[in-house]
Amino acid sequence: MTAPTPERAEEGKSPTRRRRKPILPRVWHFASFGAPGVLIYLCFVMAPILISFGYSLTNYNPFNPPTKFVGLENYKNLFSDETFLTALWVTTVLTLIVVIVPNVLGLGIALLLDKKGWLYNALRTVFFTPVILSSVVVSIIWQKLLDDQGPINQVLRALGVDHPPGWLSDPDIALYSVASIVCWQMLGFCVVVYLAGLQGVPTELLEAAEIDGAGPWRRFRAVTWPLLAPSLTINTVVMLISAFKTYDYVKVITNGGPGSGTTATIAFNVLATGLDANHAGYASAMAVVMLVIVAVVTTIVLQFLRRREVDL
Amino acid sequence: MRRSLALGAAILLAASACTVGADTGTGTNGGGGKEISFLTFESPNLTPAYWDAAIKRVTDKHPDIKVKKLVAPSTDRTGYAKQLLTSGQFPDVAIAVDSAGFAESGALYAWTPEELKDFQFPDANPIKGGHHQLPANTQTIPPIYYNKKMFADAGITATPNTWAELVAAAEKVKAKGGKPFVIGGGKEGFPSAMILDGLVSVDLYGKTPDWLTQRRADKVKFADPDFQKAFGKFADLVAKGYIDKSQVSRSYDDTQAAFLKGEGAMYPMGNWFASAADTKPHDFEIGVFNFPSEDGKLVVPAYTGGGMIVNAKSANLEAARTFALAFQLDKTQLDTSVKADGLFPAIKGYTPPADAGATFKAGYDLYQKAVEQKAVVNAFSWETADDGLLPGMKDKVYQAAQDVITGRKSVADACAFLDTEWAKAK
Repeated sequence: MTAPTPERAEEGKSPTRRRRKPILPRVWHFASFGAPGVLIYLCFVMAPILISFGYSLTNYNPFNPPTKFVGLENYKNLFSDETFLTALWVTTVLTLIVVIVPNVLGLGIALLLDKKGWLYNALRTVFFTPVILSSVVVSIIWQKLLDDQGPINQVLRALGVDHPPGWLSDPDIALYSVASIVCWQMLGFCVVVYLAGLQGVPTELLEAAEIDGAGPWRRFRAVTWPLLAPSLTINTVVMLISAFKTYDYVKVITNGGPGSGTTATIAFNVLATGLDANHAGYASAMAVVMLVIVAVVTTIVLQFLRRREVDL
Repeated sequence: MRRSLALGAAILLAASACTVGADTGTGTNGGGGKEISFLTFESPNLTPAYWDAAIKRVTDKHPDIKVKKLVAPSTDRTGYAKQLLTSGQFPDVAIAVDSAGFAESGALYAWTPEELKDFQFPDANPIKGGHHQLPANTQTIPPIYYNKKMFADAGITATPNTWAELVAAAEKVKAKGGKPFVIGGGKEGFPSAMILDGLVSVDLYGKTPDWLTQRRADKVKFADPDFQKAFGKFADLVAKGYIDKSQVSRSYDDTQAAFLKGEGAMYPMGNWFASAADTKPHDFEIGVFNFPSEDGKLVVPAYTGGGMIVNAKSANLEAARTFALAFQLDKTQLDTSVKADGLFPAIKGYTPPADAGATFKAGYDLYQKAVEQKAVVNAFSWETADDGLLPGMKDKVYQAAQDVITGRKSVADACAFLDTEWAKAK
């Protein structure tokens, strides 16, 4: 009996056995490389969310035990809590401003900077610099600038304005001052994203449109703007989420004031309720509601914006 | 085999990242001594150099104790201490932190009568029968510091002794084109509420010293006529233009600087301001008078406490206690705190240093007379014990004061707001 040739030996193997072999390596690779990330995500993202939801069903106060299960009472109280409802309003206004203004200005600036040359490169850097600064540092700087005796009001007085605005002391203005600061810092992000989007607009399309007689506005509306849909999506969602969870600017600049709740966002109230008043259970309910609102609004906005992308 | 080890290591690494340590103090047994952490806070008066020197004085006498200084990111050291407790990093020792909340949760060591024997008011600030903060010093909150030059220019020849006289003085200053009061607020808040604190303390506590205890028992409310009356006087100052609403966003540091620059005639502030008055540059003489009552009766709001608290679960509890007591009872340290922060040490037999500043001496004399006449009451919003405001309520008081200053709320609305927030805080 002769030994089988390699070809014959290969023929003897079962096709099923060959297909089953890769399964184990894939499982192994997932377990080896994916597990740490998954575990970290579960521990630092999912677990805290679940724990927070659990706390929201209690009267948990770390300084005043015992903790009791209260069901949905915290949620029920939330929607009759004037402080929370005011914070919801403040957060909504802030979010609208921070979503719209940086997007609009960012697009305009990006169009202006979408040119070659060292000057334009330098300007891009200038506009992006605030984004990389700490929000706390930015807040401290702008707090000094906007103080009633700060340089801005001093200049206004020198120019003949006897009673310049109380940028941070007037309850009717303070929220818009805070929103302006957030917009100032986030503007650069929008600029960069739109610049990246503009880089992806085919020059051939623009040239073809120009040859067909389309003017600058028509070229923008018919070619550039539609192709910037992904950039708009990114900017809108990022600004939306960032604005809705604004805490640090408010804490550093106004501490929720002047007075009660004029600039206090939901995120600010979560920490004030949980850390200052020690009502961690109630604060957790606020946090959960905020999470749900952000998730729902973001989903709706994404659906709308992505539909626009698909339509292209 | 290597794959198994790699997988095990990865899982162990991820799992260990999720482990939360036990809630203990942050001190350790450092090489050559016991290390404790000490939470401090900085202000224009209490600089890094002040704390470093104070700590060194104690550790020089107790070389077996090593101190790791922690600094709160703002003057809200109580809020920061809560964050540290929540994150399991509660310091072994802290100073001037409101003990309410921490004490009830069992986080603080309760000082024994023997340990408190050298303090003038050992029974100050009881929380559920225990004393958790060393009653190291007294602060009068607020006396009213005034610009003598502006008073003279306005024709004011005597310091106000009644509320009506205070209002008259304010009117005279305003008529001369000056600002009667310097206030602030900003994110600290309390500079906006100093006058309100004085009014409630003098008018309300002067008649009903245990008013806040009654409030805790729901026997009285903020919306009651007596409290509203005191608040109404505050609103009256605003309505008459004696308080500039644009100042509510000014930080505490800037507020103090504004008074020292002569931007206003009167500065209601705790006696710690005396330190700045005596040491920082200004081109006018500063005087001080007690917050006036309705009828001129002497009533002086004050708070005794502000001392060390110790983490009951400290890994080096004995060292922490030793450090805290040594810090608070050291004569040199007490003298330094008088000069640096204008404090009135509440230590038996203590007398201020002979070279204490003139403004400090004037304020101290006012306080001593009040003690002799048994005219001292609690300072509203500064109490930190069973008869203090509920956690989180201080900020609400500051907010209410600012709302009245800016005209956003009427007195009735502000008082109703406080009652609403009180109900939530319980």
